[in-house]
Amino acid sequence: MFIATNFFDAGFWDRIHGGSTHLPIALTLASALLDVAGSFAPSGKIRETFRFSAYFTPLLATLGAVPAVVSGLMLTKWDAFGSGVTLLHHYFVWPSFGLLIVLTVWRSIVRHRTSRIGFSIYLIAALTAAVLVSVAGFWGGEMVLNR
Amino acid sequence: MSIEVKALVAALLVSGMVVGALLGAARIIHSNTSMPSGKSAAQASAFKNPRVAAGAKLFSLNCAHCHGIDATGDEGPDLHKVTKTDDRIKSTILNGVKGEMPAFGKKLTEDDAVTLVAFIRSLPD
Repeated sequence: MFIATNFFDAGFWDRIHGGSTHLPIALTLASALLDVAGSFAPSGKIRETFRFSAYFTPLLATLGAVPAVVSGLMLTKWDAFGSGVTLLHHYFVWPSFGLLIVLTVWRSIVRHRTSRIGFSIYLIAALTAAVLVSVAGFWGGEMVLNR
Repeated sequence: MSIEVKALVAALLVSGMVVGALLGAARIIHSNTSMPSGKSAAQASAFKNPRVAAGAKLFSLNCAHCHGIDATGDEGPDLHKVTKTDDRIKSTILNGVKGEMPAFGKKLTEDDAVTLVAFIRSLPD
């Protein structure tokens, strides 16, 4: 397990994790906000533009979340839960990561063929993912500040 | 079945597989690498005193994340030169230190704490 734990020192993974986590957090929030904005848009064309942007942002967020999660696992020496603040951080990381994948895959398959109810449920789930990933980020920040 | 329901089933499957694979890999890798001083789980028996060996296992599962895999410190302090009494160490493990270390009283028994103290005392200065 040399590669898994000792390939680089903890400081290296610390920096990679810190650098890679902000992109998926920002994009998850942006996606939810774009969809909300699109829902209130007056014309169909503007609505489509918002929704088109809101489709790509969770896709990029999910792709960006992979290095964030893997670097986090390297940092904790593959301890997926830990204890204390780390455990709190992970309680929000795993559900938000899972939900982000669900949202991305669902939207990639359905695309514009959404019903009103289907899109409403998606929007609620996207807002939930945005909250979960933000709280995960908050506890991640607490870990850094408490060192 | 509508496209939305089919997509939801596919999305749940993909998500479950990705998250499950990562958690499974983490469980396997962590259990193989979390013995102090780089010892594997199979090498735990290398400790002559069975209590110290049990303490090493408890340490790897509960303490190594903060105190380092070899107990030389990471987020938490180095445990090789602890000067506190056994009772004080036991109390710290069970009750924690506000703002610094979580309490393990709900997860570990008093006997577990004594076992951990035996392991900490076995560490070279």
